[in-house]
Amino acid sequence: MRNDIELEGIIEDYLQGRLTEAEVAAFEQLRTNDPIVDHKVVAHKVFLDSMKQYGNVLSLKEQMNNAHAQIDVGTLAEEFRPHPSFIVNLWRKNKSAVAVAASFLLLTIFSIYSIQHNTKQNGTYEVMRREITSIKNNQNKLVRTIISSSKADKGPVRSAKFGGTGFALTANGYLCTNLHVVKDADSIYVQNNKGDLFKAIVAYRDTQYDLAILKIIDSSFSPLSNVPYKLKKGGSEMGERVYTLGYPKDDVVYGDGYLSSKTGHYSDTTQYQVAISINPGNSGGPLLDDNGNLIGVITAKENQADGATFAIKAKYIMEALKAIPEDSLGRKVVFSKKNSLQGLSRTKQIEKIGSYVYMIKVYN
Amino acid sequence: MTNKLSSSVPTDREVVLGILNNSEDALNRLYIGYFPMVLQFILNNNGDEDDAKDVYQEAIIILYNKIKSGDFELSSKLKTYIYSVCRRIWLKRLAQESKKTNNVSDFEDIVTVEVDLEQHEEKDLQFEKMGSALLNLGEPCKTIIQDFYINNLSMQDICEKFGYTNTDNAKTQKYKCLQRLKKLFFQS
Repeated sequence: MRNDIELEGIIEDYLQGRLTEAEVAAFEQLRTNDPIVDHKVVAHKVFLDSMKQYGNVLSLKEQMNNAHAQIDVGTLAEEFRPHPSFIVNLWRKNKSAVAVAASFLLLTIFSIYSIQHNTKQNGTYEVMRREITSIKNNQNKLVRTIISSSKADKGPVRSAKFGGTGFALTANGYLCTNLHVVKDADSIYVQNNKGDLFKAIVAYRDTQYDLAILKIIDSSFSPLSNVPYKLKKGGSEMGERVYTLGYPKDDVVYGDGYLSSKTGHYSDTTQYQVAISINPGNSGGPLLDDNGNLIGVITAKENQADGATFAIKAKYIMEALKAIPEDSLGRKVVFSKKNSLQGLSRTKQIEKIGSYVYMIKVYN
Repeated sequence: MTNKLSSSVPTDREVVLGILNNSEDALNRLYIGYFPMVLQFILNNNGDEDDAKDVYQEAIIILYNKIKSGDFELSSKLKTYIYSVCRRIWLKRLAQESKKTNNVSDFEDIVTVEVDLEQHEEKDLQFEKMGSALLNLGEPCKTIIQDFYINNLSMQDICEKFGYTNTDNAKTQKYKCLQRLKKLFFQS
C-alpha cells in the first residue's frame, strides 16, 4: 500500500516533469523492465489529460456563464423571436420560397398571356385554333341533325366554342394536337371524317412545346387499324414537299406546301417554318412529307407575312409520348413501326390518312 | 444595433491571441459579441434561449480547443466559423429530436465544420465520463481530487482544509480516492 502510494507519486512527478534527470533515467529503466508500471504510467497519463481537459472546460464554462449573465437575453430574444403572427412568421421563414413561387407564377401567367394574346396583339404569331361562331354552329348542328339524326342525342347540346385538328398516334385512341386548342376545355369531343363524335380527355399537357395528347374515352370508339404514317425522328431538309390535313371547316381540308425553314417563329429551333396556307382550325394538324412520314404538328402562322406557317417538330411528340405509361399506349405506337404510306401517290396517302385525322371540338 | 455590435466585438486576431494568452477579457468580449447572432438563428429555427446558450457555449468550447491545440488556421471569419458550428450542432439536435429541419432560416454564410465537430464529440464524451465519475465518487473524495488536480492546491493545503492530522494521512486518502475515481472513469 505504501509502495503503491509512493509509485503513484513518482508517476505523477514523472508525468509532470518534476523528477531530476537521474531519476527520470532510473524510472524509465523501471518502465521498460516492468510492464505493469508502464501500463500504470500510460493509464495515469490518459487520466491526467482527461482531468486537465475537464478542468479547462469547467473553468471555460464558468467564464462563459459569467459573460452570459452580462447579456440581456430577454431583450435580445424579443428582438429576434419569430413574429407571433403565423402569417408573418410563415412569410419570414419562407421568404425565398415564396418569392421563387411568385415569380414563377408571374412568369407562367405572363408567358401564357403572351402566347395567347401578346402575339395576337402585335399581329405576328397567330395560333390556328378556330373560334366557332354561334351562327356557324347553329348551321352545323342543323346539318348534322339531318345527316345523322341518331347522333343528335349523343353529342353535347351546347355548341362547341373552339375547334382544331388532331391526329391519331396509336390505334387505341391516343391523339395528338396543340395544347392551345384544348387548353381551357371543359369537355372535348373529337369527330372523324365520317362524322362520328367521340368524347376525349386530355391525357398529357406539354406546355413547353404546346402539345397535348388526348385519349378517346368513348365506349362507342372501336380501335383503328394500324396507324399508317410513321413519326420521323430526324430533322427534315429545306425544300421538302409537305402537306397537311385539317379541319378549318366542318370537312377535312388538304393543304400543300414546302418546308421553308428549319427554324420557326423568331428562329425557334423547336419548330419548322412551312410555306403552306392554313386557316384557323388547322392547329394540331399533322404535317407529313412526301413519303408519308409525320414530321410535325401545325401550330400557328405569321399573320403579317404571307405563307409562313409554323409546325412543332415531330421529335417533341415523342417526348410527350414518353410521359404516358407505355402499356396504356398499346403496342401500336406510330414511331415504332414501318411506314405503310411509302411509295404511294399523294391521293392514296390522303385516302389512307383521312380516317386518322380528327376534328377537335372544345366546349367550355 | 449593428454599429453597437461591431464596436464591442473584438477582431479575430485579438480573439486568437487573447485565448492563447488566457485572456478572460477577450473571451468575454467574444462571447458577448457573437451571442446575438446565434440567438437569432436558434430562435428562428425551433429553439429557445436555453438552447441558444447550450449550443453557443459548445461552439465556443470547440473554437477554444481548436485555438489552444495550436493548429488553428483562420480560413474563414470567426463569425462564420462560430455560426457554422452552431448551425451544425443545432441541426443535429433537431434531427435527434426528429423535429422538422427543412427550411432552415439562415442569417450568415457557412463553412464546413464536420471534422472539428467529430473531434469535439470525442472530447465531449471524455468530459461527460469524467463528470459522471466524479459525481459517483462522492464527498469528500470529489473535492479532494478537484482541489488537487483542478484547483492545484498542495497536499499541505488539503491536509489543513480537511483537518487531517498529517500530510501522510491526506496522501493516503487522496490515493484511495484516486484509485476509485480511475476505476469509475476507465470502466464507464
